[in-house]
Amino acid sequence: MDTLNTTEKLNHEELFTLLKGFITEVIGEEFAEEMDITPESSFTKDLEMDSIEIVSFSEKIKAHFGDQIDFTGWLSSMDLDELINLDLRMIINYIYECQ
Amino acid sequence: MPIIEINHKKVHIQELNKGAEQTVVLIHGMFSNLSIYYFNIAPVLAKKFHVVMYDLKSHGMSERFTDGYDLENMSSDVLALMDVLEIEKAHLVGYSFGGLISLKTALKAPHRIEQLVVIEAPDPQDEKARNIIDEYSKEFLEHYVANFTDTTKVQMGKRQMEKNHRMYEFLFNQTSIKADMIKEKHFLSEVDFSEFKLSTMLMYGEDSNCRPTGEWLNDQIGRSELKLIQGDHNIPIQEPVLIAETIAHFLSKSLKIVSQNHG
Repeated sequence: MDTLNTTEKLNHEELFTLLKGFITEVIGEEFAEEMDITPESSFTKDLEMDSIEIVSFSEKIKAHFGDQIDFTGWLSSMDLDELINLDLRMIINYIYECQ
Repeated sequence: MPIIEINHKKVHIQELNKGAEQTVVLIHGMFSNLSIYYFNIAPVLAKKFHVVMYDLKSHGMSERFTDGYDLENMSSDVLALMDVLEIEKAHLVGYSFGGLISLKTALKAPHRIEQLVVIEAPDPQDEKARNIIDEYSKEFLEHYVANFTDTTKVQMGKRQMEKNHRMYEFLFNQTSIKADMIKEKHFLSEVDFSEFKLSTMLMYGEDSNCRPTGEWLNDQIGRSELKLIQGDHNIPIQEPVLIAETIAHFLSKSLKIVSQNHG
């Protein structure tokens, strides 16, 4: 469920669990189980997420964190190479800093 | 994901800066989805405009449909989308086949369109696209992806290959898309551009196969300007920021006119 949660700052591990859940919702449990999702997993290469799935993932982050995190704005500041190399740890760190 | 119903179809939309005075509707191309605008182009436009993106039928996260891929139907969807969102008048931006949809919409309902931006619209008379449908096979997709990644750098893994294959197979083998595209073969040559008064910007890649169509349209449309961008047909991926800023600059001219009229 996408819920707005602004009460407590999540630590890195909690953020990883949350984001892993979002990824599972986006790509489907069947594929998520096949893949060993770790903080080092890159979105395009390891998780094979295409851009519409990253849109979906971004929407889940927006819905959960609300205005405190401009995730799309952060992504839009990246060039194509940076987007291709984007991994889960970078997102965790970004969200952690923003909270 | 925001889903609305347009002409009895479930359509995935994304909106930014809802409170802005003027709206820009962004239309993606065939076999693509709204993400072509979502990350780089839409946020730049949203600094000044209400931005609406949507997935065409059977594309992205919109509902699959077996028919209605001709420009008449696709442009009806644009106007119905505007009705549902209660947008009286909007700027239209269309890329590739979406450029043809935006042009058709502007011809059909010019009173509902502020200004038009056509990016890399092809001439539907070009048989290459239709031949792709005829010759489609999974091997073709693998070959296409291998070449496509040269210009876009995006690699496609096994899961994506399967996902794309399923989409192409559905569109090519289970829908009227090919017949509908053939129906539009003479679309551009049959348009009477003498009556077309909308301010239009045409954006084409310097090295694009579609560039002659852009030059031809520029000759036909009275109030048009042609912007050539470094790159090929994939300029929204190759030069997203330049594209976004050029569109924002072009559309902002009407913002100045509106504010002058108001005061």
